[in-house]
Amino acid sequence: MAERLIGRNYTPPDLVAKVTGRARYAEDFRADGMLFTKLLLSPMPHARVRRIDASAALAMPGVKAVLTADDLPDLGGGERALTNEPVYAGEPILAVAAVDELTAAEAIERIEVDLEPLPFVTDPLDSLRPGGPNARLEGNAWGAPLPGGQGPGAPAPLVTLKWTPQDFAEADMGRLPMGKPLEEWAYGDLDGGFAGAALVLDETFVVQSTCHHPMETRSAMAYWQNGKLFIHASTQSVAQTRGNIARWVGMSPSDVMLICEYTGGGFGSKGGGAVSSVIPAFLSRKANAPVMMRITREEESYIGRARTNMTGRARIGFAKDGRITALDLYIVQDCGAYGPLGDHRSAGLAASLIYQPPAMRWRAVNVITNTPPRSQQRSPGPMQANGIIEPVITKAARQLGVDQVQIRRMNSPEGKAAFGPAAGPGGQRAHVTSAFIKQALDRGAAQFDWEARKARAGQRQGSKIRGVGVAVGPHGAGSIGFDSIMTIRPDGRLYVQSGVGNLGTHSVIDLARVAADVLDMPWDKVEVIWGDTGKHLPWTCMSVGSQTTHAMTRANHAGAMDTRRKLQEIAARDLGGSPDDYDIGGERVYRRGAPGRGLSYAQAARRAIELGGKYDGHAVPEDINPMTKESAASLVGLGLMGIAKDNYPRDGVTYSFVVGFAEVEVDIETGKTTLIDYLGVGDVGTVINPRSLLAQIKGGSCLGIAHALFQKAVVDPRYGVTLGDRFHYSKPLSILDVPASMKADALDIADPETPVGARGVGEPPVGAGYGAVLNAIADAVGEDVFRRAPVTADIVLTSLENGRRMHDPLRAHV
Amino acid sequence: MAVIRDPMPAFELFQPTSVEDAQALLRRYGAGAWVLAGGLDSFDWLKDRIKRPEAVVDLSGIPELRGVRARGDGLEIGAMTTLTEVVRHGVVRERYALLLDAAEAAASPQIRNQGTLGGNVSQDTRCWYYRAGWPCYRAGGNICYADTPESINREHAILGADRCVAVNPSDTAPALIALDAQMVIRAANGGERVVAAEDYFVGPGKDITRMTVLQPGDLLTAIRLPGAWAGARFYFEKVRDRQVWDFALVSVASAMVVGAGGAIERMRLAVNGVAARPLRLQAVEDLVRGRPANEATAAVAANLAIAGAQPLRFNAYKVPLMRNLVKRAIRGVEATTWAS
Amino acid sequence: MGILTWGRNPWDQPILTHISWDLFWASLFAGVAFFVAHAGYMVFSTHRKRHASETDAMEAARADLPPRIVRHSGVARAFHWVMAAAMFTLLLTAFLPIAGVKFAWVTWHWTAGLVLTGSIVFHIVHATVWLDFWSIWVGPADLPELRAEVLRELGHEVPGPRPGKYPLGNRLYHLVIVLAALGVVASGLVMMVRVRTPFFTRNPYLFSDATWGGTYVLHGLAGVALVGLVIAHVYFAVRPEKWWITKSMIVGWITRRQYLEHHDPDRWAVNAGPEPRA
Repeated sequence: MAERLIGRNYTPPDLVAKVTGRARYAEDFRADGMLFTKLLLSPMPHARVRRIDASAALAMPGVKAVLTADDLPDLGGGERALTNEPVYAGEPILAVAAVDELTAAEAIERIEVDLEPLPFVTDPLDSLRPGGPNARLEGNAWGAPLPGGQGPGAPAPLVTLKWTPQDFAEADMGRLPMGKPLEEWAYGDLDGGFAGAALVLDETFVVQSTCHHPMETRSAMAYWQNGKLFIHASTQSVAQTRGNIARWVGMSPSDVMLICEYTGGGFGSKGGGAVSSVIPAFLSRKANAPVMMRITREEESYIGRARTNMTGRARIGFAKDGRITALDLYIVQDCGAYGPLGDHRSAGLAASLIYQPPAMRWRAVNVITNTPPRSQQRSPGPMQANGIIEPVITKAARQLGVDQVQIRRMNSPEGKAAFGPAAGPGGQRAHVTSAFIKQALDRGAAQFDWEARKARAGQRQGSKIRGVGVAVGPHGAGSIGFDSIMTIRPDGRLYVQSGVGNLGTHSVIDLARVAADVLDMPWDKVEVIWGDTGKHLPWTCMSVGSQTTHAMTRANHAGAMDTRRKLQEIAARDLGGSPDDYDIGGERVYRRGAPGRGLSYAQAARRAIELGGKYDGHAVPEDINPMTKESAASLVGLGLMGIAKDNYPRDGVTYSFVVGFAEVEVDIETGKTTLIDYLGVGDVGTVINPRSLLAQIKGGSCLGIAHALFQKAVVDPRYGVTLGDRFHYSKPLSILDVPASMKADALDIADPETPVGARGVGEPPVGAGYGAVLNAIADAVGEDVFRRAPVTADIVLTSLENGRRMHDPLRAHV
Repeated sequence: MAVIRDPMPAFELFQPTSVEDAQALLRRYGAGAWVLAGGLDSFDWLKDRIKRPEAVVDLSGIPELRGVRARGDGLEIGAMTTLTEVVRHGVVRERYALLLDAAEAAASPQIRNQGTLGGNVSQDTRCWYYRAGWPCYRAGGNICYADTPESINREHAILGADRCVAVNPSDTAPALIALDAQMVIRAANGGERVVAAEDYFVGPGKDITRMTVLQPGDLLTAIRLPGAWAGARFYFEKVRDRQVWDFALVSVASAMVVGAGGAIERMRLAVNGVAARPLRLQAVEDLVRGRPANEATAAVAANLAIAGAQPLRFNAYKVPLMRNLVKRAIRGVEATTWAS
Repeated sequence: MGILTWGRNPWDQPILTHISWDLFWASLFAGVAFFVAHAGYMVFSTHRKRHASETDAMEAARADLPPRIVRHSGVARAFHWVMAAAMFTLLLTAFLPIAGVKFAWVTWHWTAGLVLTGSIVFHIVHATVWLDFWSIWVGPADLPELRAEVLRELGHEVPGPRPGKYPLGNRLYHLVIVLAALGVVASGLVMMVRVRTPFFTRNPYLFSDATWGGTYVLHGLAGVALVGLVIAHVYFAVRPEKWWITKSMIVGWITRRQYLEHHDPDRWAVNAGPEPRA
């Protein structure tokens, strides 16, 4: 029996290509006669295109085609690649295809676009004020999801919501106005909880928006051949992007050939691809030539998606021992120009889960502003919840004299903890599959030497003060019900089809480790096929929401079990007995007790082809997705095919957790915070790929740390234009901003509700890093110094200098 | 006439090998010429299609502009010497560590490999309204977008503002002023003039579209460091959001000679990030002369330093920040004893 | 030569930023050209003045008049010279930087602008309450004087009216400069909101781009007009035959003979009285 692959480090097969530069990303491809396109972006945050005069551009030599919104199909009112009514500054209005980028750019400068400015708003609260402007002609907020709508992006109606002047009475004092909400839920006895509380705190916090800014911008190249669209795009999810592209172009998914072997990051901004990627597809059809669209960093900062910013107000009751008695949470979410997004809902659920209030009310409005479009950004919602609520917990612990780890431990979920409203069909609350946060807190506190660090926190040496902080970052971490296809071929090797995007997480490959383990296949005999829908990929989850490792290890476990069963059946058929009499090992299927009696995998593969039917893919299960069926049809007869849908049961909703511990040093003469040490401990189920997992915990924490310290998006309110339209203005974390010895660990406790035991990890560390660093700063300089993030030197210094909090209390995008 | 910010428009590229040739080109193309040093400021402007020179004169192939050489009791650094070369130079390290600290604080290692000392001191402001191509005073218009009731101006000026509230972004500039560096300028007619570092920079009152005294056709050829401040007690600090690839919120550079009795014999002190030009704080230098380099002196001097500061909506922190950095330059920073 | 300078705002809309500075050079040129032309003309001029004998007779007839006649009160002179200083400061601070002489001009400029504004306000009040407000004004009633003066200029001896206290040219000049000065002051005061002063919160967004554009153009047009007007004014002030007027703006009085020679005693009646202080 080969050593189990799960839990062991390995070198992924794409590593050499990545580090040597051989890996080809979307913009690295070339085709004969390829044209280049450049975009004309709206300078206004909201306008109507009255007239476009492209005649001078089209008259230029080398200019081949101009594409406008009129050339694109309507998408039910949803965001399109080009628009005649830009709703944010930087939204593409038209595209020019020319023989090179220089010509295309010069052509754009000769195009006259007559824009009629329309009312706009960049701050969500401004839109809610009486008489405030609406971001869209149809309204200023997304209402509650339509009946039957599910998930974070559930369809919702556009409505107009204005609050009363009374609602804003305390806004200048920094308290979030709480006018009429558009969505709400509650459970438990809220009033009783507050009445019985020893301490009630009511605080407002502003969580910033940040552009995703993956290293690879959303470039794309496309051409048409025999009615099929070949498109090189950058996506987090190969299998699930094909359908989106088909919908955006208005064609059948089976005619879309999507190639994306490597993705330079996405962080949620390329979950199902990018709507802009169809621009070269349309232009290619119009100009009858391949078209390359290279998106610049500036364009990426407009069209590249951003996190929803939230201003939240949390009123929390605490018993004397620190236990939470009630939580009343109000969120004003800024959804940007499009949407709807459900981060605010995820934030409410996450708050209910990780702080386990016995009574809670959640209210929210989901406001539209004329700022760059949002999408889910790594821990969409839960991270923002960490930002809104952690300062309150920290303040309460300080006032009650309770240790920061203890107050989080006593309020943390355990086992199949319930969360959220009683919204189940029988009026029951949802619960998680498992949670081991208390163990993670205990292990982390010991490893981080919490007590010793706590002892020196608040002490001042010279101008420096240390502080420690801890936070629990939660996030949904797994979906179910996806498919797998794998074949053992006559060469004796296992070919695993992976529809996962190669966005840097290794889950694209990790899933095959599970199959190899089930089939006891040595890793050097496993081929993973990914990155091209022309390579016949199964229906796969989107690589968003930390779901891939969970969903696709389950699916591939199912596929491997199907393979194993077919091996047993073929052996029984040829060698007698029942399939259950056969075992596998050493790349053979053999009769239990008589290892000599059996077939090698290569022999079994040949027999499968001879047998046909379900053994080589001629017959496939009924319950698999049409995409999987289509792929199976193309792989038919190549060998023994394992093909299955993940039908494993699951009791509960899968969530992962990372506990972050941070120690900071704040220089009170400069206001500058330095992160001294950091530890992230994951409660993420069974560890599949330790090196990658720990890198995910550290890397995800880094995103949260950057959000705590300096990363942001800035919009000029007068012109409604993004000011941080460069990479360095956005201030993503640099390597010198984290300690060289940043640490991570994982509990490696299997989740009981999945056969492999693994949950996802991508997102929970973000909120952990964010909350832990915010808490550590509060510990060092006082929890009332800031009520917004990032906590930059100016905020700390000005507040300390004046003896009270000085920053603009509620304004967004500063 | 739509606006598009990429790619770089076409221009004639010249790579002269002598200062004379470079200046001949600058004369030939006049206002259509653009001087290129390391390119880190230039390429932003060019790629954004905001500055559209007819000809770019790349100075990187002129040997006489490169390298660090001894001159009298000091050093002469060619304007095209990269920041990395400055940082790695033994004599700089030994005698002018202030410049080393400042140069090493600039941007990132890759940028320092490419960026030059002359380019670093001559670079344009990074005001994000101006760099976005908005038609402000500095761009020849008649408005400052950064100083309005609605502007986001956390990084802007608290001193010396005159219509424009941009700040000078250079890290090495205050260090050069503190070292009493001399800037060697070759005029268009071939004549050479030497100006003190502090006089090299101009504020918006005097010339709202320029950062330095360089006129069209002028080239900064070298920077001379006198021996007078070599090996003095130096202090440099740059406060920024990120520890790498970020401009200063405020920076301070000082050189101090302390007598046997502990009194400050003489001092030169400059700050940057607070005005459109790096500011030498002569009043502070005069005040501290003869006083001990202690907290009391530092406190008085620091309050003098910020006299007249006028913060904008989002940059009030720069007043205490500048005050505290000046304090530190005089009395130093207490080390901490925490183990990790 | 352009008249206006246009820019594009951050929304890529065309905005008027100010006049073209070509107009400054044009005005400067016009002013200089005028004095060159006028000086040349004066050399050959046949301007018909009162005969000396005529004046002798009048002087004899009006011996009751004091030998020195007050033409400008001390207050009026102070106003004139304060305004002149402010005007020169304004013009120099405005146009030297444009001409290439760089210095920090903004604070000087608006300070001088406030001085000018203050002196104009004072002047209006003073002229209305204490002076003969209408003596400087021009109206249809002045047509006979215009006709007479033109004919005299052409060398004819005509009986028509002679100037009252202020010659017609003087009054026409005053009218033009009132318009230019009011334009420049009104627009300038508004423009102070665009720069940092102790008086307002700086707010370039107070008005729309179009309103600001109009304000800047008005300020610019009035400003360059003043360049030409001031050149003309200074030119006349230093002309030999006008020197007696200039001198009166310094010392305040003119002689009885000058009064009788140049003015129409009916239109500027001076009562016999004590001799004014010099």
